Amino acid sequence: MRPTVPAVEVHQLSKSFRVRRAAGSGLAGRIRDVIRPQTQTVVAVDRLSFSIAPGERVAFIGPNGAGKSTTLKILAGILQPDGGRVQVLGLVPSRDRRRLAFEIGTVFGQRSQLWYQLPPRDTFELLGRAYEIDRREHRRRIDGLTSVFALGTLIDTPVRHLSLGERMRCEIAASLLHSPRMLFLDEPTIGLDVSAKAVIRELLWTESERERVTLLLTSHDTGDMERVCTRAIVIHGGRLLWDGPIAALRSGYLKAKRVTLWSEAEHLDLVLPGVRVLSSRSYRTDLDISLEIAPLGRVVDAALRQSAIRDMAIEDAPLDEVIRALYADADRRSATS
Amino acid sequence: MTAAPMAKYAAFSRIAIAQARRERGELYGRVVFFAVILGVFSSLWHAVAEAGMAVAGDPRDLVWYLAVTEWIMLSAPPIHVEIQEAIRRGDVVYRLGRPVSYAIAEFAAGLGLLAVRAPVLGVTAFLCAFAFTGRTPPLGALVIVVPFGLAAAALMTALDLWIGLLAFWLQEVAPVYWMWQKLMFVLGGLMLPLDLYPQFVQRAAALTPFPVLLAAPASFVLRTPLMSPEVLARNLLIWSCATALAVSWIFRRATSALTINGG
Repeated sequence: MRPTVPAVEVHQLSKSFRVRRAAGSGLAGRIRDVIRPQTQTVVAVDRLSFSIAPGERVAFIGPNGAGKSTTLKILAGILQPDGGRVQVLGLVPSRDRRRLAFEIGTVFGQRSQLWYQLPPRDTFELLGRAYEIDRREHRRRIDGLTSVFALGTLIDTPVRHLSLGERMRCEIAASLLHSPRMLFLDEPTIGLDVSAKAVIRELLWTESERERVTLLLTSHDTGDMERVCTRAIVIHGGRLLWDGPIAALRSGYLKAKRVTLWSEAEHLDLVLPGVRVLSSRSYRTDLDISLEIAPLGRVVDAALRQSAIRDMAIEDAPLDEVIRALYADADRRSATS
Repeated sequence: MTAAPMAKYAAFSRIAIAQARRERGELYGRVVFFAVILGVFSSLWHAVAEAGMAVAGDPRDLVWYLAVTEWIMLSAPPIHVEIQEAIRRGDVVYRLGRPVSYAIAEFAAGLGLLAVRAPVLGVTAFLCAFAFTGRTPPLGALVIVVPFGLAAAALMTALDLWIGLLAFWLQEVAPVYWMWQKLMFVLGGLMLPLDLYPQFVQRAAALTPFPVLLAAPASFVLRTPLMSPEVLARNLLIWSCATALAVSWIFRRATSALTINGG
């Protein structure tokens, strides 16, 4: 059996930017800035390696400035790497940009590819020509995406009249017109309200399942990651911090649980090391338990000694908290090193 | 370029035409501005002639000359603004990611805008100049002026693309464009035919593309054209090739130096 070619293969990828630094304030500083501009090198991506199999849905997570968007733009062939090896669908993005463009789609949440004064259909027509799609196939594709993305009359409404959520649906549909095998999404739900986010997540998931599109998604919204992706790659300072299933990230990284106890006694007084009382209302106590210090059994025993327990709920720590802890650990490590 | 790529880039021209049709206000503004400029300069040249001051030949010829130079200037779309804004907003990531040449696509879109502006402004130029002078140049001159004027406006669009690409480094190219435009006013002979300028200015102008952009096409409405149609065609071709090379070179450098706002 032939081994499957990874959809994305990144090995020791590096990218730095030279940015101008203000020389100083006042006239002298400004003159110095013009005559001898000061620059500094900012490392955006630092020897990053990972691989993605075809059909995977991967969340690419990191704090601001971690190098997520830069990596995505390198993978899409828009930026050129300084070092390392990158292959997307068997092509080298910086060398085969135009060939690769036929195989990939990109969605940048804060940018737009739609012509602002015109209805999305005009941009769709333009993209059909740009991607050399057969006219009949293109029409069929537009009809299909109009139906899946519920574009209805939106497709003939000037973009300037669309809400952000409606526009994003059109943006994603535009990126899927040429049936890409791989989709790069950079914060596709940024700025959207709760229901619009849910719609976009559902559409991404469905489309990926239906067409077996490989997804690489960056987002600060853990909802995007949990609802759309099955795997997370976490980077920090341009370096790989974590790579594994989202479920493992949730339950494995932070050894903590959220426990809610409904007791016969009106209040429980649980002062134990490793146990933080989040709230204590009548007959209900919410706890945050660090399992490495306070095993669950010991906490429950302590509660039972005070009162009978009518019900109990145990949850993993929210993903937000897990990711915060990951970043904080990384910050601590880089500070000590 | 084969038929398929031509069809691709024609699509960029078509969508720009559709966009320009929706933004008619901007075009109407240009029409009004054009009419006012021609009115003001028509009065000025007539006043100068009546005062006995020497203006080259018939002041009515100068009005027609200005109508042509302004028609070319105002028809060429300032595509550097759109390129600069796309870089600022970061939308350029989409444009660079398509399976097309970014520079040719922007140029094709510019030609689309030119295709909307040139006819409207051409009619404006003709009607206003006729209204202010009471006559038209010989038909033969007009037949030569129109294709050369359109070719010059297309070259001007390509040069504007070159300025726009500087935004990959500078972010803000308005100062560059401002200087470029002022040089074009003087060395291109926007207001007055170049042969009225001092010799050293004429010599300096001959080293630049500006005369073939404005003075040379417009001079066909005068009794003494700056150069023959054959020479102008050759010069336009030379400057077009030079511009294509310059655009290609700067674009290659721009993409390797690219940093995108906001990561």
